[in-house]
Amino acid sequence: MILKEERLTQLLQKFPPERRQSLAVFQDIQQECGYLPKEHIIEAARYLKMPLAEAYAMVTFYRSFSLDPRGKYVIKVCDGTACHIKNVQGRLDCLKRILNLDPGETDKDGLFTVETVSCLGACAISPVMKVNDVYYGNLTEEKIYEILADLYRKEMMKA
Amino acid sequence: MNIVIDGKTCEARPGEYLWDTARRNGIDIPALCRHDALPGRGCCRLCIVENENAVGSRSVIVSCVFPVTEGLKIHTRSEKIIRFRRILLKLLIERAPQAEGVLLDYCREYGVAGNGELFNDNTNEKCILCNRCSRACQELGNSAIQVTQRGIDKIVASPFNEPSPDCIGCAACARVCPTGAIACTDTREQRTIWNKTFEMVKCAECGKPFATAEELEWMKPKILDFESNLAYCPRCRGRHVANSAMV
Amino acid sequence: MKKTILVCCGPGCIAYGGLDVAASFREQIATLKMDVKLETVIKQTGCHGFCSRGPLVRIMPDDITYYRVKPRDTEEILKSLDNKPVGRLLYHGVGGNILKQQETPFYSAQKKLALRNVGEIDPKNINDYKARGGYEALRKALTMEPEDIIAEIEKSGLRGRGGAGFPTGLKWRIAAEYDNFPKYVIMNGDEGDPGAFMDRALMEGDPHGVLEGVIICALAVGATKGYLYIRDEYALSLQSMKDALADAEKAGFLGDSILGSGRSLHIEVVRGGGAFVCGESTALIESIEGSIGEPRATFAYPTEQGLWNKPTIINNVETFINIPLIIDEGGAKFAETGTPTSKGTKVFSLAGKVRNSGLVEAPMGMTMRKIIFEIGGGIVGNRHFKAVQTGGPSGGALPESLLDLPIDFDTLVRYGSMMGSGGMIVMDDWTCMVAVAKYNIEFLAKESCGACVPCREGLRALSMILTRICEGKGEPVDLEIIKSICELLTQTSRCGLGKTAANPVMSTLKYFPEEYEEHIKEKRCRAGVCSMGRSTVVTDSADMAAIVAMAEAARKVSYGVQSKDKTGAES
Repeated sequence: MILKEERLTQLLQKFPPERRQSLAVFQDIQQECGYLPKEHIIEAARYLKMPLAEAYAMVTFYRSFSLDPRGKYVIKVCDGTACHIKNVQGRLDCLKRILNLDPGETDKDGLFTVETVSCLGACAISPVMKVNDVYYGNLTEEKIYEILADLYRKEMMKA
Repeated sequence: MNIVIDGKTCEARPGEYLWDTARRNGIDIPALCRHDALPGRGCCRLCIVENENAVGSRSVIVSCVFPVTEGLKIHTRSEKIIRFRRILLKLLIERAPQAEGVLLDYCREYGVAGNGELFNDNTNEKCILCNRCSRACQELGNSAIQVTQRGIDKIVASPFNEPSPDCIGCAACARVCPTGAIACTDTREQRTIWNKTFEMVKCAECGKPFATAEELEWMKPKILDFESNLAYCPRCRGRHVANSAMV
Repeated sequence: MKKTILVCCGPGCIAYGGLDVAASFREQIATLKMDVKLETVIKQTGCHGFCSRGPLVRIMPDDITYYRVKPRDTEEILKSLDNKPVGRLLYHGVGGNILKQQETPFYSAQKKLALRNVGEIDPKNINDYKARGGYEALRKALTMEPEDIIAEIEKSGLRGRGGAGFPTGLKWRIAAEYDNFPKYVIMNGDEGDPGAFMDRALMEGDPHGVLEGVIICALAVGATKGYLYIRDEYALSLQSMKDALADAEKAGFLGDSILGSGRSLHIEVVRGGGAFVCGESTALIESIEGSIGEPRATFAYPTEQGLWNKPTIINNVETFINIPLIIDEGGAKFAETGTPTSKGTKVFSLAGKVRNSGLVEAPMGMTMRKIIFEIGGGIVGNRHFKAVQTGGPSGGALPESLLDLPIDFDTLVRYGSMMGSGGMIVMDDWTCMVAVAKYNIEFLAKESCGACVPCREGLRALSMILTRICEGKGEPVDLEIIKSICELLTQTSRCGLGKTAANPVMSTLKYFPEEYEEHIKEKRCRAGVCSMGRSTVVTDSADMAAIVAMAEAARKVSYGVQSKDKTGAES
């Protein structure tokens, strides 16, 4: 989602036009848009008085930024050590079979994005994944089926 | 103050970095990311040396960013340092098998060959990510290119890999590059660099192309008597200035 | 009698439905009001620690803890408050049901200093914290000379809990001595170690405890501005710390004149960008300044030239939460716990193939065997213990023969691992140590900032060689190459990430050499994890077919048969 000009201005002006605010500015834009649209990065860099190349270096350095649109449901699969030794790969394969998405990809309907993250900080209930803000622990293939089936049902109901 | 490098007593100046002290005293330490016009960065680690403390134990330090202090005892070519430099060169030449220039000289000197033993995935690479180009661009105040991404995916790029609005085509990046990694194509009329094409301005005297229009525009506020000075290429400019001084 | 029901809403319990349980309690109280003549308070608390048995519910003051509580159990629990406890939800010990948390094997060996308030209070309520003596240490610190505060911290022997274990008092002393203002204090809450969640539990369970530590530090070193650098993925931690800041400011513990003392401190929250390397202090500083998180190449420490080149203290969350305790009770009291060189306790996140996983606080010097087999209850599924990885991805894996080592900063380093921030991942015999090394190296290669050659190219080379070995294409010479790159990494990298990055490889090579040999010479993986070049066949279950059909149906219904292309997507 691209923000309207006045909304972006409003968002930017919450911050003093200083370079040190760049992380926060980009995070807020990403929160509203779901990703960082190129034109917003350019606008934000101008506002923060930082060279565009450095803004671009920032948003490609930090992992929490995405330069591509993401799906309505962002599935973050934890690939922390605890999850890893409990075969997170198997769960990713399962997601791949259902959604046909590899980590980092978004489906063409814009419904799902699958990502891996280095740790969700919920190791005691590994393997873990997060769909938007909801955590699911002790993942099994069956659980993944249920979670996705629920989401699909929800989408069908809405339509 | 005095320090000892490879057994030789060397005079060191306060505030100086070890690498510079060594060079002033005739001891050359290899370096790739270091450049006289740019602040030290400590990226390539080729300039590592061993620092021996009072009780004789040694630690590895990076000479281009290490400030000298009284009484240092430094070894620049110990067995360990040579061994480390060889691994570093091996990693670099395998990363960038097409690199040109001084990296190849060092590889020859240290007997290192790049034969795809470690990496076999980027055979056309020339860049060793020394950051000289982006630092030069930054120092000139343009910051048109930067090192983007991170870790093993790091790569020098213009924003969004598109022609940068900030690039003035000065080619300073290409000039400081130690491995010839930055493609810059000059014709009589045009220069193409970082996917951006610039019109060349020709010298009012000799007619040779000597700068891009954007570059001159960038210099404008920085140079006195712009009109008369920047119509000429650097060579003719000297003559022109001399002539006008005589009149 | 007034009863308090503490519902654990730590990340583990939330994933198990902790919030639903709390909601159900509130609902039931509303409907049962007439029948149950009780004054009951429901509190959503931070992590109780015993995550693998969540959601946990604790009734106070009776101190009865229920495990694996479901919303349908709440009515029964409420009705039992004045009667016999609900037996089926209690901990079933060897000698029968156990009521009190402290008497279960998981809790009995623990010693809660850093976690003293976590799970006991409602973290959103500053009065809960004050009721347990909160902000008393700050009042006391305001009456002390900065020099005396630092002396007290030095006496406690507290060492930084972020990983390296630098003496906290000394760090403060160095920064305090510079006559260069303004000075800064930074809380490092960028917990990026996979396998660690203790900082998160502290920020979410006892935010004021952490904050009080930060304020006392600022008083001691003369800092007037503070930053709380918190990982962006930790939405709850961010909220929790922001709320705590606002409440503390309202109560006068922060601001232009702390409790009328004339000393000022302003603190703001900075969201981290998702970069493991920003746990390194100079990278973190760069990040706050609005740059990419590359560690600085210079030889100056942040205590001298930190944020905006001013003296700066950076301490970890867990370090800060110990501060009020030390000021309250004195450094000498704190130093009674622990080993000669490592004082106090350490919070570990115990996870992996262990029966009881969760948050564990143990006195320094406890053996790993005790933590894993007594507190942790041993290995899941009656498999055999193989290794424990401490210190996160750049720590090492230690074998069974070293389980009786006392855990402290120096012992772990001596054996090729490290304390790190306190992750403790237990591995069983179904874990391949070569694959674990490869996983850690791949993680570090992705997370390296990429500035210096040994770290960037060395890790890439290691990751390629280890992949080769796991695919059955390894050669004996590979081990020699691995060793030489590891030595280079350790000695020539720019920052701590690179300097410790060889640990996962060197420790597995040292303690599990036979696994490398088998992979290379026999093309065999004893744990059955590595494919060794053979492809694995995946069979689809009936469930799978059903859900794929459902996915198709959903797509058709919600988006029409014609899908929009990616670029046209909008929401």
